[in-house]
Amino acid sequence: MLDSQPDDARTLVAIFLRGAADGLALVPPVGDDDYHRARPRIAIAAREGLKLDGFFALNPQLAELLPLFQEGQLSIVHACGSDDDTRSHFEAQDLMEHGGTSVAGGWIGRWLRCTGGNGALSALSFGAQLPESLRGAPSATALQSLDELRPGEDTPQLRAELAELYRGDTLLGASALAALSAAERIGALAAAPYVPEHGASYATSTDGELARDFGGGLARIAQLVKADLGVRAATLDLDGWDSHFVQETTITPRLRALALGLSAFARDLGPRLSTTSIVVMTEFGRRVGENGSLGTDHGRGGVFFVLGGGTSGGMHCRWPGLGTGSLIGPGDLDVVHDYRDALAGVLARHGAAQELPRIFPGRKLAPLPV
Amino acid sequence: MISRRGFLAASGGALWLAGCERIAHFGAPAPEAVVFSAPGDASADLVQHVLARCSFGICPGDRAALLALGATQESAAQAWFEQQLEPQKLDDELCERALRRCDTLDAPLGELYEYKPQVLLSELTAAALLRATYSKRQLHEVLVEFWSDHFNIDSSKAECAWLKTGDDREVIRKHALGRFEELLVASAFSPAMLWYLDGRANVKRTSDERPNENYARELLELHTLGVHGGYTQQDVMEAARCLSGWSVRDRHGLRKARVEFHADEHDDGRKCVLGVEIPAGGGERDARILLETVARHPATATHLATKLCRRFLADEPPAQAIEAVAAAFRASAGEIKATLRALFASPEFAQSRGTKLKRPFHYAVSMLRATQAQTDGGPALASYLARMGHAPFQYPTPDGYPQEASAWQGALFWRWKLALALAGGHIEGTRIDGARLLGEVGGPAGLLAHLLGRAPQARERELFLQNGEARLGLLLAAPEFQRC
Repeated sequence: MLDSQPDDARTLVAIFLRGAADGLALVPPVGDDDYHRARPRIAIAAREGLKLDGFFALNPQLAELLPLFQEGQLSIVHACGSDDDTRSHFEAQDLMEHGGTSVAGGWIGRWLRCTGGNGALSALSFGAQLPESLRGAPSATALQSLDELRPGEDTPQLRAELAELYRGDTLLGASALAALSAAERIGALAAAPYVPEHGASYATSTDGELARDFGGGLARIAQLVKADLGVRAATLDLDGWDSHFVQETTITPRLRALALGLSAFARDLGPRLSTTSIVVMTEFGRRVGENGSLGTDHGRGGVFFVLGGGTSGGMHCRWPGLGTGSLIGPGDLDVVHDYRDALAGVLARHGAAQELPRIFPGRKLAPLPV
Repeated sequence: MISRRGFLAASGGALWLAGCERIAHFGAPAPEAVVFSAPGDASADLVQHVLARCSFGICPGDRAALLALGATQESAAQAWFEQQLEPQKLDDELCERALRRCDTLDAPLGELYEYKPQVLLSELTAAALLRATYSKRQLHEVLVEFWSDHFNIDSSKAECAWLKTGDDREVIRKHALGRFEELLVASAFSPAMLWYLDGRANVKRTSDERPNENYARELLELHTLGVHGGYTQQDVMEAARCLSGWSVRDRHGLRKARVEFHADEHDDGRKCVLGVEIPAGGGERDARILLETVARHPATATHLATKLCRRFLADEPPAQAIEAVAAAFRASAGEIKATLRALFASPEFAQSRGTKLKRPFHYAVSMLRATQAQTDGGPALASYLARMGHAPFQYPTPDGYPQEASAWQGALFWRWKLALALAGGHIEGTRIDGARLLGEVGGPAGLLAHLLGRAPQARERELFLQNGEARLGLLLAAPEFQRC
């Protein structure tokens, strides 16, 4: 039933904030005067931010993450991003999910292939479509709820017939067999209602649809992690961070969804948080100066979070500054930490220490101690 | 004859009749009587290929109708293309009848605000399903879907919730087989697009105000040159300056949805985009010059040719075909029909049989067409599209739904569920008249050839025909039917 690799107990959850989340709003450098100068109308004031160290603060809408940071369960990498300078969502997401230029497959896909993660449930995507990061994985299944994978009306005979029809299919065979196997395995799990543990509660409709849906995705992942079904990687998106226009309105519900979701997930996992890594990433940060519509345009350096899985915790950042001489391109935060160095630091704890050069080919890695 | 039991063999359900009873009040069109011709080769022939790839699926009568257009398969296929490229000459009464219940489709822009967004989206979605299912203008509908992705607008963003219906009608459907430059200009000044990519917020009133780059960037990256088309960040910023001042009235005042140029919000200085000098003082002409420049840029031809080839040839289209199609685009100054003629004439098109995975919308509609289903295109059917990740007008980012198979392989499970639900009559508002279908295709063996698109192999006969009955659900769920 389960995979038998020794690192099976470890799961990596990759959360992608699509649309380019503004790192300067998530983790504002409230101690930097240039920050307040560049954003006269939309900056987070020092007194509003939740103090992380003497310089950075956490957006008050992320308050639930503060205890995790204080306990050393949360690492924050600032001025983090990729070498993509198209400032295009799609190019930058594509590059980041592939884990480099001119490489085949996604970074999770390559990682699982390198380390032999080929169970039917080894890679799951909670969403309508498979993300590029899972491309090339030995198996990858997209789903929106466990119910979808319940056997439902079909029968073992029908499943056997579908398996026969699809088995030799070069395009669809692997996906089909993975789907059939997943259906069988999750059927039992989906039959009973899920009760979170350790006093955790996920967001409900009263917290807004975004928070409810995002929390629901994390609850499904927690359920699968705890059921030891061999889930090695799970991906989940939180969309809509492209805050060109009245940024605060755009990002507030998303910040709430993120804070409520991650804090509930961490609590629900309990001791399993030490074997479950959560990486929160975004394709790039946003322009340092606010634009004319109380928003921000596409920039470069952004923020990554690493939660649990044995992370070292704390701030990881060589701050480049926001003065005119420090900005790049049309006025963007410099990328001091390459996203691959952040991911490599996490993957090293997921059985991939020896495989990192194959997972991120063409990059001289300097894994961050996140 | 097929029996109810025959359908149920695959579905395991017991509600096959239920769908029939619920359908009556929707007035879904009854299928026309047809002549059926069974594909008889061991693999898909040219006719089967053309119909599978360039329409939303093969109805029982389609093959015979196409074959009647010429003496050989090649000449008949050629005649079919020419017919399809003149959609207004094809009578589409059946489809128009099916659309009658969608009142909002023809509402003038300003009046769209009188409807609830959910009503507009459900009617627009129903219309997309009904047109794809019932229209005789299949190639036009396929191109409508193509351009809907190319100029993607997510109806959940701000006033797009009301305005996408107008964009679908005035931009996408109107220009789907016209000139690309006209399509591009229509899209640029479409109220929905001005909302979706923040063009309306692109203003320059003071010297230190920065234009909003969102639309300008996607214009170059997605709509025209393509991300590797040779433009720079500077070009994006200059393009945004050209477009500054174009806005659209919102729903809170008079003349809702009216597109306007505000000279006082336009950056009227000198610009240079892609090497083209635009002198100061151009005012609203700047946007026209910009759009003309990008529409005619050589990289635009290559970008569009690549996307068309990806839709009609292969996920990784051969360079030679792309170049031929791009050349036709350039030579015709962006005539979409001429571009498509080059594509269909390319040897790579004929060679690419059965290699594409149908996207979920295509898959769902091809089942309806193949089985002569009667549908209202209503929420029960649309919910399957959402679960398969392909709900029309709901893709959040401006790149549109992906074309490549790899993006869609993970949702097979839902395809099977849909096939079984349809065969079992479990989708409210949609039904198949099994007896009639079997009559049209000459019995279970004909149904097998019809749905496989070729002569069945011995094992397939065993699997799909049991006790002389065809197992429709399993046939529709099979890998052959996932492809086009």
